[in-house]
Amino acid sequence: MPENLLHIADVSKLFGENQVLRGIDIKVTAGEVVGLLGPNGCGKSTLLNVISGFSRASAGSVIFAGEDITSTAVDRIARKGLVRTFQLPSMPRRMTVAEVLQAGKAEGLGFRSLFARSRFDARDVERLLGELALDHVRDLSAGSLSGGQKKLLSIALALRTNPRLICLDEPTAGVHPSLRQHMVQLLRKVNAQGVTLLIIEHDMHFIRELCDRCVVLDRGKVIADCSPAELTLNSGVVEAYLGGARDKRAYA
Amino acid sequence: MFDFLIHVTILACLYSLVALSLNLQSGFGGLMNFGQIALFGCGTYGAGIAYKYDLGFASGIVIAAGFAVCVGWAFAAIGRNLQEDYWGMATLALAEVIRIIVNNEGWFTGGAQGISAVSPLFPSLAGRMQQVAILWSCVAFLAVAYFLCRWLTDGRYGLGLKVSREEPQLALSLGYDVAALRRECMILSGLVAASAGFVFAHYISFVAPEQLVSSETFLIWAMVIIGGIGNHRGAIVGAFLLQFIFSFIPFFKDLVGLPTEFVAAARLAMIGGGLIAFMLWRQSGLVPERIGGTKLA
Repeated sequence: MPENLLHIADVSKLFGENQVLRGIDIKVTAGEVVGLLGPNGCGKSTLLNVISGFSRASAGSVIFAGEDITSTAVDRIARKGLVRTFQLPSMPRRMTVAEVLQAGKAEGLGFRSLFARSRFDARDVERLLGELALDHVRDLSAGSLSGGQKKLLSIALALRTNPRLICLDEPTAGVHPSLRQHMVQLLRKVNAQGVTLLIIEHDMHFIRELCDRCVVLDRGKVIADCSPAELTLNSGVVEAYLGGARDKRAYA
Repeated sequence: MFDFLIHVTILACLYSLVALSLNLQSGFGGLMNFGQIALFGCGTYGAGIAYKYDLGFASGIVIAAGFAVCVGWAFAAIGRNLQEDYWGMATLALAEVIRIIVNNEGWFTGGAQGISAVSPLFPSLAGRMQQVAILWSCVAFLAVAYFLCRWLTDGRYGLGLKVSREEPQLALSLGYDVAALRRECMILSGLVAASAGFVFAHYISFVAPEQLVSSETFLIWAMVIIGGIGNHRGAIVGAFLLQFIFSFIPFFKDLVGLPTEFVAAARLAMIGGGLIAFMLWRQSGLVPERIGGTKLA
């Protein structure tokens, strides 16, 4: 029986009277690549915020590696091995790409690290710069990178933390097609190394190329949990994306 | 003139220490502290109270350090749930609260009259020799503080501070305990500022609440911004530059034949004008922060 690395157990989220998530229940097995899909406003990013600790669930719980992290602080969740990237990654302007990558490893920081100058991990930084095709921008300001390069850098930063699960929020949005293909290869490689991936994405080609399983949300509920190939056969998914009888009823 | 130059250089060294401290917070930690003078006051009153109660020089150091840790911690604590600009206002308010307490709790702090005749440094020396000894001590002290600040910011700790400075959400998502980083930064930099205050109190032999007025904080801000925020050398350059210009304004007044009020007005105009001019036209200051300055290998 494969191990459940992440269990989003009956999670609901309310903003005032507006219920954005309604009893979401998703299990992610270690080593899986799961796509999280749904039309705009269905609650994907809110769910990601709840998983990563940036937002608290109104009800339900988030279990990561057997531990309840529902009320755990963001930084502690990250140190446990659950890291996330952002839809619009913002990078420091007054640091170079290489410096940001070097800073990516927060582990062991504190007063003890004052004595740890020699613990710069230059080899790992160089390896990641090469693997993510960022070596030519290593000395540029991280804030000056293009949107696509920033997304690659945010993936590299996530990898610096020795993650067990990476949650990626629309990694290909605004990314040049050549970088997109590079990203697919990179994420396959990362997954092959045992890192579980949960990906919010709208690009169906990307999803088909990468994901083992897709979970589709609509109006804060899970409406499908199937393989990428089965998505277009699912009437609920088609209706959510393209509209259907339900919308006609709503406007009647 | 020689004695005057020594005096100005001593003051410039002490202001440099306070500027280094503020630069560590704002330039590296992104902490817009408008109550910096309270941390300096921890040092002056550490020295003053130890003298008042006849506790000795070493006890003064312990009291000053204790005050600095408490005030640094309090600044960091009130900033836990505040955005940068609101935190800045809160630090200004907290520093004013501290000054008012100091002003009113006369039984402990000497009140508005302050504490006078604090024991001077190097009492066995006299005249110019004493001044020169204090000068070299201050220069050595500044050199130690400079290398200490560089040591702090050139390592992993400094990189963590810089990520938290610009992108706190990114830092959190990477596993940085941003609140702890900021707390440590406030306490460490508070100790640097308090050490300057401690030496200052023994140098001028007088401690009073008027030394803690908020305009002093903005003078230190002007030093950091004009010198170059995010660069330790910039903070020192800014402190020396402003201190020397300020000290020579009275000579300029005499030379041109301006009224006495001109001196105070010119100083204020220089602080405000310098801040505005540099923020508008040269935000990086005279000695800009070097992007990519950390040696990673």
